[in-house]
Amino acid sequence: MKILVATSGVPFIRGAAEILAGSLLEELSEAGHEAELTVIPFKDYPPNRIPDQILACRLLDLTESCGIRIDRVIGLNFPAYLIPHPHKVIWLQHQHRSAYDLWDQPAAGGLVHSPDGPVIRETIRRADRELIPEAEAIYTQSLKVSDRLLRYCGIAAAPLYYPPANALLFYKSPPADYFFFPSPINAANRQWLAIQALAQCRERVRIRFAGEPGSRTQQAECVHAARKLKLNDRIEWLGGVSEDRKRDLYAHCLGVVFPPADEDYGCVTLEAMLSSKPVITCSDSGGPLEFVLDRQTGLVAQPTSESLAQAMDMLWADRGCGAAMGEAGRARYRDLHISWANVVEKLLC
Amino acid sequence: MQVLPVLARSHDVVLWTDQDQVSPEVHAIARVARYDPAAPPWREINNGTISIYHLGNHPDLHAGVWRVSTQQPGIVVLHDLCLHDFFFALSVRQGKERAAYRNAMERWYGQEGRESAEAFCAGGVSVQTMQQNFPLTREATRNSLGAITHCGRALEDLHETPACPTATLNLPYAAAGESPYRAWLAVRDGVPRPPYRLVVFGYLNRNRRMGAVLEALAGIGEREQFRLDICGQLWDESHIRTEIERLGLGSIVSLHGFLSGEQAEQKLGTANLAINLRYPSMGEASLSQLQFWDYGLPTLVTRTGWYASLPEDATAFVRPESEVADIQAHLRAFLADPGAFRVLGECGRRSLKNHDPESYVDAMTRFAAEALGLSPRVSALALARRVGGDLTEWLPAAGSPYLLERASKEIYTAFEGRRH
Repeated sequence: MKILVATSGVPFIRGAAEILAGSLLEELSEAGHEAELTVIPFKDYPPNRIPDQILACRLLDLTESCGIRIDRVIGLNFPAYLIPHPHKVIWLQHQHRSAYDLWDQPAAGGLVHSPDGPVIRETIRRADRELIPEAEAIYTQSLKVSDRLLRYCGIAAAPLYYPPANALLFYKSPPADYFFFPSPINAANRQWLAIQALAQCRERVRIRFAGEPGSRTQQAECVHAARKLKLNDRIEWLGGVSEDRKRDLYAHCLGVVFPPADEDYGCVTLEAMLSSKPVITCSDSGGPLEFVLDRQTGLVAQPTSESLAQAMDMLWADRGCGAAMGEAGRARYRDLHISWANVVEKLLC
Repeated sequence: MQVLPVLARSHDVVLWTDQDQVSPEVHAIARVARYDPAAPPWREINNGTISIYHLGNHPDLHAGVWRVSTQQPGIVVLHDLCLHDFFFALSVRQGKERAAYRNAMERWYGQEGRESAEAFCAGGVSVQTMQQNFPLTREATRNSLGAITHCGRALEDLHETPACPTATLNLPYAAAGESPYRAWLAVRDGVPRPPYRLVVFGYLNRNRRMGAVLEALAGIGEREQFRLDICGQLWDESHIRTEIERLGLGSIVSLHGFLSGEQAEQKLGTANLAINLRYPSMGEASLSQLQFWDYGLPTLVTRTGWYASLPEDATAFVRPESEVADIQAHLRAFLADPGAFRVLGECGRRSLKNHDPESYVDAMTRFAAEALGLSPRVSALALARRVGGDLTEWLPAAGSPYLLERASKEIYTAFEGRRH
C-alpha cells in the first residue's frame, strides 16, 4: 500500500509526537508498505488563525501522487487529521486540548486568555465533530484520549497502544543513586512539582532531569526554584539527551518520576517498564495511570509536593521494593501485548 | 433591574462594569466584577458561557461595553437602534482623528458614507440628517453572536438588519401588584379637579420635544386647567427655563430635576396624563412608558419607532409633523372626557402582561443557546474574509472562482455543521 502518515508539528520542536510518527513510518515500511510522512506546520497563536490552518488542511488533496493512487492516509494530530481522504484512518494522538479539557489550565496556552477564545474553541470543536467521523476508522493512543473524544465530541474510538521507539533496546542495570525525570521541561510536565517535593524529602534524594525546555523562561524558572530551595547539589539538568544516553539513564536509575498533569499517553511510563524500573506518578496524571498499578509496578502519589516526596522517600529508602516493582512493571508490559504489529494491522485493516 | 433578579434565580450571573458606582441593590442580586476596557480580564470573562452586552447611545456608560463586545463575541442588547451619535462621540473621545468613525461609515454605507462622514465632521451636514440616513446599527453588532432588540418594526424601518441572528423581545417590566395599583387610582380619583396634572419623566434630551409641549400648552386657552411637572435631567435646563418664562407658563410648569423612587411614585401616583414624546426616535423602547402604564396613566406618544407599535387602545398618538396641534387636540379631548383617557391608561396597564420579565428571560436564554450554537460562524466569516482578501491580492480574477468555491465549501462544511 501507498500510505501517507499525516501529522502536525511545530517547526524546530521535536517531542513524543514526532518520535511516534517516525516510529509508525518505520513500522509501516517494515511491514512492506510504501509510507511517507506529511507534516503540517502548526502554530496555535494568535488563536484566530487556527481556523486558517484547519482550512489549509481541508484544501489539501492527498488522493494521488504523480497519477498513482495513495491508498491510505493515517491522521495523527490536529489539524492534520482533518485532511480529507476517501480511505483515511485516524489514530488520534491529540486534539487541540486547550479547546477541550485544558481550556482553563495555565499550561494550555492562550486560548482562554484571548477575547475570541470562546468562539475559536467552538470552531475547533465543530470542525472535530463534523470532520473526524469522515474517517473509515478511528483509534486513539490511549483510553484517556478516547474518553475525551467521546465526552466532548460524542465520537467513540478504541485505544490502540503502541510501544516506545526502539522498545527492544531498553535494558536494566543495577541502580545508582538517582531518580530519572525524562520529559520536555514545561508547566504541564510539572518539573516544578518534583523540585518542591525534593525539598520536602527526608532522604537525600537526587533527580536527573532530561529534556528540552519549552522555553528559556520555563527552564530558568525551574533552575531558579531549585537554587532558591538550595537543591543544586541534588538536581542535574541534562537537557536534551541522545536515545542511547536516555536508555542508559533509564537503566541505571532507581526509578522514574513522571507526574505530568493529565498526560494523554506518556511513553515514559512504558520506557520505564521496559527498563524494569518503578514509576512514580500522580493520581491526576492521566495516561500513566492506564499502566501503573499502585504499589505493584510503581507508586501513585497525590499531586502535592508532600505526597510526591513521600513516594520518592519510600523508593529511595527501600531499594528492594523498588526493584520488585520494576520487575512487575516489565512483566505487565509483556502481558499487555503492546506491539507495532498490532498497531499496523489495526490501522490498515 | 427588571431582568436581573429573574435571570439570577436560574443562572450564575456576573455583572461586569467599568463604572465607579454600582447601585447597592445590584450587589445583593449578583456578583459585580470590574474591568478595565483597555485590558479586560479575558480569562475570567471567557469562563462565562456567554457575554451579554447592553448598548445604547451614552458614551460614558457604553463605550467600555462596546470596546469589549467588539473583541469577545456575545449577545448585544440594543437599547437604541440609531447609534450614529454614539459612534461619532466615541471616535472623537478616543482621539483617533475620527478615523474609526469614518471607517465605520464607509464599511456600512460605502463611498457615500465616507463622504457624508467627512462632510459631517466639517460641519456641513446636520446631526438629524446623519441619524436618519446613517444609524450605524450594524456597526454595534459587527462581531456579535446575536442581537436582541425591543422593537422589531423600528429595526425593519431602519433597513439595518444585523448579519447575526436577531431576536425581538418585549421590553421587560415587572408590574406592581393589583393592590398598589388600586391605591394609586384611588389617590388620583380623590384629588379635586381641575387642575389636572401632566407629567414628563426621564432623561429629557433634545428629542423629548419639550419645546413643542410648552408651546402647545401655552397656546390653548384652557391651559390654567393643567399643571405640568417636568421630572428628570434636562439637556439644556436654562433654555427650558427661558422658554417657560417667554411663554408665560411660570405658574403652570414646575421643574423637579431627577427624583428619588419615593418622589417619583408620588408624582406618578397623582398625575392624570403623561407626555412621552420622542422625535427623532433612536429606535429605543421606553421603560418610562411601561412605568406610566403600571400606574394606569394615559400617555401621549409620538407615532414613531417603538412608540408607533404600541397598542392603539392604550396610547394617544402625536404625529411628528403636527405635534403642537395634536398635543393641543389631546389636551382638549382630555378636558372634554377624562374618563376616555382613563380607559387608555387601564388598557396600557393590562398590556404589561406582555412584558413579563420571566418570559423575557426564558426567551433570552433560548436565543442565547441558539446563538452559541452558531458561534463558529463568526470565525468562519472572518476566515472567509481573509481568504477572499488574500486571493484578490495575488490571483487573477479568472482564476479565483474555483479557489473561492473550494474554500467556501470547506469553510461551510467544517464550521457550519450542516453535513449531518
